[in-house]
Amino acid sequence: MLGIGDTHRRFSVMGNSQRARRETPLGSAFAYLRTMLVFIAAWWAVSMWTSNPVLLPSPFAVIAAFVELAGDLELFKHAGISLGRMVLSLGLAALLALPLGLFMGLSRWFDALVDPVVELLRPISGIAWIPLALFIFGIGNALPVFIMTYAAFFPIVLGTIAGVRSVDRRLVDAARTMGIPDRTIVNRVVVPAALPSILVAVRLGVASSWTAVVAAELIGAPSGLGYAVEWYRELLMTPQVMAFIATIGVLGYLSDRSLRMLAQRFTPWASDASTAP
Amino acid sequence: MTFSSIRVARSVALPLTLIVVWQLLGTAMGNPRTPVPTRIAAAALQLTASGDLPLAIVQSLGRVFAGFMIAAAIAVPLGLAMGSSRAIERNVDPLVESFRPIAAIAILPLAILWLGTGTPAAMLIVAYAAFFPIVVNTIAGAKRVSPTLLRAAATMGLDHIQTIRTVIVPSALPAIGVGLRIAMGVAWTAIVAAELAVGAKAGGGGSGGIGQMMFVFYAYSIELNRIVVCMIAVGLVALVLDHVLRAGLRSLMPWVSQ
Amino acid sequence: MTESAVKLRLDSIGKRFDAGGTVAVQDFTLDVARGEFLVIVGPSGCGKTTILNLLAGLESPTSGTASLDGKRIGGPGPERGVMFQDYALFPWHTVLGNVEFGLRHGPAGNGLDAAAREQRVRKTIDLVGLKGAEHKYPHQLSGGMRQRVALARLVANEPDVLLMDEPLAALDAQTRIILQDELLRIWGQDRPPAERRTVVFITHAIDEAVFLADRVAVMTSHPGRLKAVIDVPLRRPRGDATRADPQSQALCQHIWSLIRDEAYRATVA
Repeated sequence: MLGIGDTHRRFSVMGNSQRARRETPLGSAFAYLRTMLVFIAAWWAVSMWTSNPVLLPSPFAVIAAFVELAGDLELFKHAGISLGRMVLSLGLAALLALPLGLFMGLSRWFDALVDPVVELLRPISGIAWIPLALFIFGIGNALPVFIMTYAAFFPIVLGTIAGVRSVDRRLVDAARTMGIPDRTIVNRVVVPAALPSILVAVRLGVASSWTAVVAAELIGAPSGLGYAVEWYRELLMTPQVMAFIATIGVLGYLSDRSLRMLAQRFTPWASDASTAP
Repeated sequence: MTFSSIRVARSVALPLTLIVVWQLLGTAMGNPRTPVPTRIAAAALQLTASGDLPLAIVQSLGRVFAGFMIAAAIAVPLGLAMGSSRAIERNVDPLVESFRPIAAIAILPLAILWLGTGTPAAMLIVAYAAFFPIVVNTIAGAKRVSPTLLRAAATMGLDHIQTIRTVIVPSALPAIGVGLRIAMGVAWTAIVAAELAVGAKAGGGGSGGIGQMMFVFYAYSIELNRIVVCMIAVGLVALVLDHVLRAGLRSLMPWVSQ
Repeated sequence: MTESAVKLRLDSIGKRFDAGGTVAVQDFTLDVARGEFLVIVGPSGCGKTTILNLLAGLESPTSGTASLDGKRIGGPGPERGVMFQDYALFPWHTVLGNVEFGLRHGPAGNGLDAAAREQRVRKTIDLVGLKGAEHKYPHQLSGGMRQRVALARLVANEPDVLLMDEPLAALDAQTRIILQDELLRIWGQDRPPAERRTVVFITHAIDEAVFLADRVAVMTSHPGRLKAVIDVPLRRPRGDATRADPQSQALCQHIWSLIRDEAYRATVA
């Protein structure tokens, strides 16, 4: 028979923090390390068992490859190129998507006009554009940037529209009762109020763009992390392949984390819901 | 003109204008290969009539469903377990969170290394891609179960398994649904990407699917109109998948206001 | 009251939402005197907020007129400042930023240079009792403090009329009593009547209405109509003694008897 005390202990339901033990940073770091160590140990055991360094290299081989690639800066070169493309794409996407999203969110008329085009293009993922884009741009820098900009565009524009629409009506009313003109209200009330949601949208754009970078570089670029992964695969140098894949993951995580911290710094009043992953 | 027909007119105004402008500019360029709406429509008819397009779509869909089912079969129970037991979550979450930032397509070279350039590798990518949205949203759904409901179940004497089955699962169903919908979209994008990449690396050899077909049109026959047909097909299928899934989920959860 | 003493006039005003839809307010006629503290009381959903929105100019009437100093009200403006129930503070501004907002970006600040503006802002913050909290953000403040900020933001624009939509409803009972006293102080109940601003205050709490008001307008709902206007001759300045005064309690009972039936009906199907 399950008693109420058992319920609290067994079910980690949020809001139950009085009974549940709170996770300390040290505690969660410890748990993280423990799990990863178990994972690496299991990996090592399997790699020893299959003993095929091309199929499954030992974790130590991967770490060694990682260190070597970092040492001769090849890792950083490709990482830098991919990151550079992402920053550029994000800038382009934001430049297009933010004003567009703002207007669409503010004006029902404009939204009704433009939304059909957005909704028609949105289901066609950035990746589906690669063959056509390959034809237009050829293999090079432009292709990944185009694909990544396209990928980042939609989350940003949609999130901005949602953010603008969800601005508390009363804030706008309060400004109107102070006699403030509409254009000032947009600049001084709507934009700041929508900022937390817009930052979430940008984070989603970054994630989308970073996913696209791999696909784009794998197929259509002479440099970057995606290219490096594929290059080493063709050479059957699996430790290097894994090292680059891990780098892709780490950089993706760090980008998201830093954006979250930036959002926390610039919009400290935003509730946890809007900064959730 | 009635009110709703004005609405319809306004919706199609911009797309229609753009298509017309595109048609005019494209044909004016003189190159018969340039993709314009009329040629695209013709190519669409050809590809559908010959059965190539439907076959490719079915091949891709088959892989998507297979991979999606595998992912869901693992991710939903895992997510429920992690969402309802802090111990399980604490032990498994580091793994999930470490791999989540690594996009499915980045794993593709590994998948090809392990499984070759055929359907198994594609399914692995799809399953990997679909796994994370499902597990993340299922955890969130399980965690958000109202403590009051759990207490009510406890006072009625339900044991652990019963509580999961009768309280946590129904409560978490909307969130699980969200995860499934996101996963389906991700899975479809992933299969196109995987087939495209495999097509590019395997030199157009037969893995089939719409992604590979697109690549063939690019690299071998340089049929831009056909590429665009494939792109539109990709978009349409994505829309249909989402609608079907949404309708299916709605019928599963009549108590949720949409 | 004499014509020149009328600050706000609602003349057979009516508001219907969506042609053919619900009638929120019907045939409402009321004059508000200069410097008067008028409270509108009534059950939930009786159209009190609609009346306030019509006075604020946030909505326009479907029939009848609303006017200020004899001129028709056409839209919102700083001379009719509004205080909202959920404060509507700008979360990205500090207390200082919020209070100076209307002066910085709106017509109320015309003719004020930065120094004069700052002086008025600080004086207002001091008036509402928030000195020292200038650089705090709304999410760092308690409900009572936020309400003071909302009031300061409003008063800094030196409005002719203060319109308040259930400003104390979100506060706990004890904070509410404190803020009622503060509200009367800031309004100027210790000062001669000529120096007081006109206030239209909405509430559903009868005891609050009687405590604050010079007159209480009682509304009924479905559709929103003026049922009665009750004089509140309690002496100013008012305080805790007023709350205990039997005359005050008698007035509360009288007003309650006017809306009791309706309040009951709202709780059954």
